[in-house]
Amino acid sequence: MASVTLPQTFEAPATPTTLKLAKREQVMIGAHIIAALTALMFGIFMGPFQTFHRSPTFVQYFPTIPVFTFYYQAVTAHGVMNALFFTTFFIIGFSYFVTERSLQRPIKSTPMGWAAFASMAAGLLMMLFVLLTGPQQSAVLYTFYPPMIAPALFYIGLVLLALGSWLASANVFLTYRDWKREHPNERVPLAVFAIIVNFIVWCVATVGVAIEIVFMLLPASLGLLKVTDPQLARTLFWFFGHPLVYFWLLPAYVSWYTMLPRQAGGKLFSEPLARVAFIMFVLFSVPVGVHHQFSDPGISASSKGVQTLLTLIVSVPSFMTAFNVGAALENAARNRGAKTLFDWPFKQKWNDPVVAAQLTGMVLFVAGGFSGLINASAQLNATIHNTSWVPAHFHQTLGGAVTMTYIGILYWLLPAIRGRALFSKKIALAQVFTWLIGMTLFGLAMGEAGLQGVPRRALTSQAPYLTPAGAFWLDVTAVSGIILLISSILLYANIIGTLFFSRQPMPEGEVPIETVSGDRTSPLWFERWGLWLGILGILLLISYGPVMAEVLDFQEGWNILRFMPTSNAPMP
Amino acid sequence: MEINKLERYWLIAVGITLGAFVAATIVAVTVFGIRLPAPVERIDPQRLDQTIFAKPGVRKIADNRYEAVIVAKSWAFDAGPEAGNPAVLRFPRGSQVTFYVTSKDVMHGFQIEKHTLNLELVPGQVARASANFNRPGTYHIICNHYCGAGHQVMYGVIIVE
Repeated sequence: MASVTLPQTFEAPATPTTLKLAKREQVMIGAHIIAALTALMFGIFMGPFQTFHRSPTFVQYFPTIPVFTFYYQAVTAHGVMNALFFTTFFIIGFSYFVTERSLQRPIKSTPMGWAAFASMAAGLLMMLFVLLTGPQQSAVLYTFYPPMIAPALFYIGLVLLALGSWLASANVFLTYRDWKREHPNERVPLAVFAIIVNFIVWCVATVGVAIEIVFMLLPASLGLLKVTDPQLARTLFWFFGHPLVYFWLLPAYVSWYTMLPRQAGGKLFSEPLARVAFIMFVLFSVPVGVHHQFSDPGISASSKGVQTLLTLIVSVPSFMTAFNVGAALENAARNRGAKTLFDWPFKQKWNDPVVAAQLTGMVLFVAGGFSGLINASAQLNATIHNTSWVPAHFHQTLGGAVTMTYIGILYWLLPAIRGRALFSKKIALAQVFTWLIGMTLFGLAMGEAGLQGVPRRALTSQAPYLTPAGAFWLDVTAVSGIILLISSILLYANIIGTLFFSRQPMPEGEVPIETVSGDRTSPLWFERWGLWLGILGILLLISYGPVMAEVLDFQEGWNILRFMPTSNAPMP
Repeated sequence: MEINKLERYWLIAVGITLGAFVAATIVAVTVFGIRLPAPVERIDPQRLDQTIFAKPGVRKIADNRYEAVIVAKSWAFDAGPEAGNPAVLRFPRGSQVTFYVTSKDVMHGFQIEKHTLNLELVPGQVARASANFNRPGTYHIICNHYCGAGHQVMYGVIIVE
């Protein structure tokens, strides 16, 4: 590897891979992680109370549930804080860390990094303000479909989050460009390759929701626009909404591919195929959003068919990941003495919270992935669309694989940021396993309830149509809610403990990251991003061209915003 | 770039799995005739009185064939005065019913329990879907799309006799 001259301003750690953070890393990355944990705190604790709200038996014995007495406001807070703010802050903080350590250079511009952070933090504060103190009209859920319109602060908060995330993306792209100029014939380390992919997906996807918010929702909220088109808005939202889940998932894959093998004591099976998987995410993450709209009246069956096929294809890189990471874990177990065909899953470091958290995430992801394939099959969707099966699915993926991997990362990154040891490894392990049990039960019960016809995001304990079977499964979700509440308390006990009460110095350790350039067997043209964007453009034209034509309905002229008066979310 | 033999087998297995999913989707359309909702017509939700939704209700169009015109609004399904509130629709066993549904205010959902009928009701769009009622029983029509504070009490009933 060519020796790297570090810029003067880079206060380098003693060795590039030491876990001890330089001051500037500590502040910048720490700020993002703390902001992420603040958002998560408001989001995560809403979850269990929703299962209580929804359970007929629970409500019968405890008629007043203290947190967020208006159920739909709690659902909104849970979705917006967990899915939009926690993830974005965490991903950007983690991406900076990975980029700086892997490329052994600071991010391109620290002031730009702080500008991005300030924008997102202002967005977070506005959103918290409107959710906590604002009128209950803010209960538009995290999908915020018009003609329901929330207060303007809701949308301004989202715009600031997006603006900040774009600045952060640009910062990472520019850092990579600088590195590439100095290393024209080297492969960028896999972790950074994946981070670039992730920000490309994010920047393409957010175009849809940005158009929706800036040209439709915000003007409507300010009273400038009296009409809207819900079908167009939904289409723009899901252009963003599905790639969003890959934006959450890919950082978890970064950890699985580039850190977990070393943490588990093995090595990655195939680096080039990992890159192929990530390239597939550039191509297929975005042109699939219509699979959330299989039941929409405004889109033709053939357009839905095209995106069904593309959705099935986007599962391929995840299957590739399962093999590649699975093989790395088997390799780790063999190094630890596993002998037989099926003993390697048990010979993992299940007593190390960093590893155990990621492994439990994978276990949940098996159920999440396959339920996703079911959802993607257009006709099966008619059975489960908008039922509680859907949250069952994405609590295995987002609430399982993604969240547990982020928590696994947190268990080494937070001590590094604080410069102290994790407050308690035992609490961390208890948290991991209670989460696995709670989320498994939650997924099972919500899935079963959904098959009984129980709708998602409804205050079902008050629903006159609830069947005994549906009621039973909702009561089971309340039990899972109790387990997940305990797990969440354990998580935050450990976070607060590590930040304020940990007296142990941080153990000597290494960043579990590859700092050398990529595997020589990976072709250099994998990094021809213009090529991948070009193919993505063609795929978007094929998949979204007809959809937009149908939704905009040019036969009746170009006046697309012609129908719907906007409407405030009804007060409780 | 080399692909390991085992990994190649794995990828082939993945291909077969996904091929099966695609085949199942095609069979569902061609053999079982399960159709996804598709564009019918755009209408002005403020001027429903000038459309078929002026008089919601159930109409018999042939032996065992019915048309049901229903307007969703916060928070009820309006299927005409005869159906009442919550709307109760009665069909003889073996009927095939085509539903025409729209929303006059916010987004709603339209799902019939234990039947593969599940529609997003988007204001400005007419949603159409058919269901066969072959098993006697009582089935709820559930609004499964969040529509405000009274979302959970928005439902209707179908009785198959």
